[in-house]
Amino acid sequence: MAKRKLHRQIFGLIMAVALVLVLGLVVVSPAHAERPAQETEKYCLSCHGKEDLSMTLPSGEKISLYVSQDVISHSVHSPLGIECEACHTDISTYPHPELPYQTARELSRGYYQTCEKCHYANYEKTLDSMHANSAEAGNLDAPICTDCHGAHDVRPPAEPRALISQTCNQCHSEVVDAYRQSIHGKALIEQDNPDVPVCTDCHSVHNIQDPRTVQFRVQSPELCAGCHANQALMSKYGLSADVYSIYKTSWHGVDVSVYKARWPTIWHDSAVCTDCHGIHDIHTTSDPASKVNPGNLLKTCQQCHPGAGPNWTDAWTGHNKISLERTPWLFYADAFYSSFTPFVLWVCIIYVVLQIVRSIVERVRSSLP
Amino acid sequence: MTGKREKTTKVKHVRTFQRFQVGQRWEHLMLFLSAAVLMLTGLPQKYRDFSWSQDLLSSPERLEFIRQIHHIAAIILALEAIYHIGRAIYLMARRKLPGDMLPVWQDVVDAGHMIQYLLFIRKDKPKFGRYNFEQKVTYWFIFFGFLLMGISGFIIWFPEFFTQFLPGGAVPAAKLAHSTESIIATIFILIWHFYHVHIERLNLSIFTGRLSEDEMREFHAKEYERLNRITTKNAQPGEKP
Repeated sequence: MAKRKLHRQIFGLIMAVALVLVLGLVVVSPAHAERPAQETEKYCLSCHGKEDLSMTLPSGEKISLYVSQDVISHSVHSPLGIECEACHTDISTYPHPELPYQTARELSRGYYQTCEKCHYANYEKTLDSMHANSAEAGNLDAPICTDCHGAHDVRPPAEPRALISQTCNQCHSEVVDAYRQSIHGKALIEQDNPDVPVCTDCHSVHNIQDPRTVQFRVQSPELCAGCHANQALMSKYGLSADVYSIYKTSWHGVDVSVYKARWPTIWHDSAVCTDCHGIHDIHTTSDPASKVNPGNLLKTCQQCHPGAGPNWTDAWTGHNKISLERTPWLFYADAFYSSFTPFVLWVCIIYVVLQIVRSIVERVRSSLP
Repeated sequence: MTGKREKTTKVKHVRTFQRFQVGQRWEHLMLFLSAAVLMLTGLPQKYRDFSWSQDLLSSPERLEFIRQIHHIAAIILALEAIYHIGRAIYLMARRKLPGDMLPVWQDVVDAGHMIQYLLFIRKDKPKFGRYNFEQKVTYWFIFFGFLLMGISGFIIWFPEFFTQFLPGGAVPAAKLAHSTESIIATIFILIWHFYHVHIERLNLSIFTGRLSEDEMREFHAKEYERLNRITTKNAQPGEKP
């Protein structure tokens, strides 16, 4: 009897503990999400919060070891409870183990690899990128995660969107300067336009490819078409969304589409969008700085057609549908053939069919007794 | 030869009439060969966005090769056209151009008559001269069609040169015309011309140069009568025409 009582008491105790645990989860966890306890962070910053903390690497470079509490608490990681040792995996106690790095750059390249622990997919992508190739070829200055995202001050990378071009500007300042003057860049910087492309929209984010390759070139018209064939988006700015579909039927466009389908690794010279419109320095057609402004168009054509004279530019239908006003020659040729072709076809068929019927009838008749 | 003829007395003697001179037959052969090559090499270029064309033009070198064949055939056809027109002008200057191929009102009448025959309104076929209206349609359709193909073809072959004096709009128009006219010409030759020379009856006179008496009587009755009148008139007394 006493044994059974004991059993009941133990069961009650277990239930009570379970209840407390469940309640604890329900009640305590939201409080946890709000502000996790920063035990290690506080501990580390007790030294690293001093502004004059620094060390000298074997290369002679003096690096600051100061980490601002303000910066770190405004980063994306700290408020989520991701603390120092999440990235500095080799440091868990004081005194710290000896650093194996000779230079500051080596140190950065050593520590950034811990990003992979959480950001696996994006880290993998960077390994296929132009930047990784450059590093593999021996350029240690090729960017790593922290060069673009920051180290202790990791912030959302696209708030505001214009921040992206500033990030790329750290290294690619010449290109970014041209971009800032362009129709896309101006709209981004002056109006914070959400539709215009920023660097990463065309070059992609982590797996950035070399844009000078055949593969990039042959696919580039589709890249532009991503926005410029979008009817809803283009009508917002009074632009034609037919430019890509008309380009695809042009001499250049057909050539490029064949190369893309069959010979994507062979270089081709047929013009893609950027050959005429420019790459980072794209301006609206009416802008005198535009490569396709009527004033500059002939010069642009002559890049590939050196013998072209002043009449030449009228040969370009300008991504426009056939119309009497813009392309009268083409309009009349098209009008003629759209009636002449079916006319010839039907006259031939009807006449020949009538002849066949008549000759069969004639033969049957003559073979009758 | 004469001995043999005497032995086999049952041989049927077919009287033939000269229809095309050797030069004309050579011209047709050049026209036929160059046009066939132009069509065969042109069609895959026109339909480059189709996979069958991309299978044929399987590499950039092959594409370039096909284009070169197309251009060589174009030059041969252009030379043939220049010869043909040049000869016509030469004969015209000497007042020797036979007018048989020129369209006349009688052709319209014949065409009306033929349509009535085909629709079972009339029982008799029209009687044709040396060239019937079907053959004249063939000649002039190909004459103007190929002229247009030639002009538009050279414009898109040398656009930089032609826009030195032609407006730029001529280039896309020439491209459209070249591309569309080629299909029309192919349809026309495959349906109209092939029916008349292969299916209606096998007419090889453009290769052999001659038509038989039966064919002359049936298909070119007026010409047959005219030739007979001439031979009768010129025949020596006592000789069989």
